[in-house]
Amino acid sequence: MCDTCGCQSVHDHDIKLVEINRSLLEANNALAEKNRHHIEALGAVAVNLISSPGAGKTTLLEKTAEMLAESLDFAVIEGDIETERDAERIRAKGIPAVQLTTGGACHLDAKLVHKGIHLLEAQLADSRPQILFIENVGNLVCPATFDLGEHKRVVMVSVPEGSDKPAKYPRAFLGSDLFIITKIDLLEYFDFSIDEAVKCAKLVNPDIKTIALSAKTGQGMDQWMNYLTKLTKTD
Amino acid sequence: MHELSLVQGLFSQVRVVAKENNAQKVLRVLVEIGPFSGVVVDSFCFAFDALKKGDKLLQDAVLEIKTPPAGFRCPNCLWEEEPNEANKKNTDTDEMFSSALGMLTKTCCPHCGEEGLLPLGSDDILLLQIEME
Repeated sequence: MCDTCGCQSVHDHDIKLVEINRSLLEANNALAEKNRHHIEALGAVAVNLISSPGAGKTTLLEKTAEMLAESLDFAVIEGDIETERDAERIRAKGIPAVQLTTGGACHLDAKLVHKGIHLLEAQLADSRPQILFIENVGNLVCPATFDLGEHKRVVMVSVPEGSDKPAKYPRAFLGSDLFIITKIDLLEYFDFSIDEAVKCAKLVNPDIKTIALSAKTGQGMDQWMNYLTKLTKTD
Repeated sequence: MHELSLVQGLFSQVRVVAKENNAQKVLRVLVEIGPFSGVVVDSFCFAFDALKKGDKLLQDAVLEIKTPPAGFRCPNCLWEEEPNEANKKNTDTDEMFSSALGMLTKTCCPHCGEEGLLPLGSDDILLLQIEME
C-alpha cells in the first residue's frame, strides 16, 4: 500500500517545488491599473477617500456638490457593507452616484470598483466627470492595502476621533497624498490637537499634504476646493 | 481582517499554478509578509486554515511564512539601520504586538535625534514557493 495517499497500489508521488515570487496583490494591482486607464479614458481623475465610519466622507462630498456644482463635474462611487443610503444622499445633490455593497467585506477592491465604473458609465450617458470620487468602506485599516485605480488617496480623521489616529493607524497615512481633518467646528468641545495630528501624519509620511475643515460651517473648504481644482488642471 | 481577502487571492494563484503542473494536492505554500505590509501574521494563518477546509487541492497544505526584518533611515542625517532581526515582526502571542509601521512614529534617530524615521523594507506580500504533487 502506498504510504502517502493510502491507495492500494504502489506508485511514486512526484513532489514538485515551484518558485513563484509573485505578490498576492498582483491580481488586484493589475485590475487597479486597468481601472486607472479606464478612468483616464473618461477624462477623469480618481480620488479614493479613506476614513473610519462617521468621519464625514459623504458629508464632505455633499458639501463639495453644493459648493462646486457650477464649476466642477464630478461623480461618485460609494462603498459600504450594506444599503444604498450614501449613493442616494449624493444623487439628491444632483451628482451621478452608484452604490457598491460588499455584503460584509471591510474594504473595496479593484474588481468591485471595475464593476462600479461600468455601472456609473451607464448612468453618465454623455456627461463626462472631471473627478471620480471613490468613497471606501468606513475603515481606517483594511482599505489601505488595496489599490483601486485611484490617482490620489485621501485619508480623513474627524475631531471627535482624536489626534492620535495617524500614530495608531499608520498604514493608511503611509500611502496617502492628502490628510483631511474634518469637523473642526467641534474643536472647542474636544481635546483634539491639529498640530499633534499633523505631526504624527508627517512622521509616517513626510510628503503628505494636510487640510483642516468643517463641511458644516464651510471653514477650510476653500483649501479643499483649491486642491480639487488643481487636480483637474495638472493631471 | 483583510487577511481573508489576501488568502483568497493566494488560493486563486495557487490553483492556477497547480493546474499548470497537473498537481492533485498542494503540500506546502511559502509566503513572505513584508514588515511594512500592515498584515497580521496570526490572522493570515487563521484565514489560511479556515479557507483550506473542505478544499480538495489545499486541505492538507501547510503554510510557511517568512517575515523579513525591517530597517529604518533618518530623513535628516541619512543614518541607516539595516534590516535586522531585532526589528522582525513580532509573532509571539505572549507579548504585545507591535509592527514596524508603529516604530516609524515611536522611534527617534539615535544619531541626530530626529523624530520620525523612513521605512526600509517591503510593504508587499509575496507568494514565494509551492510544493505539490
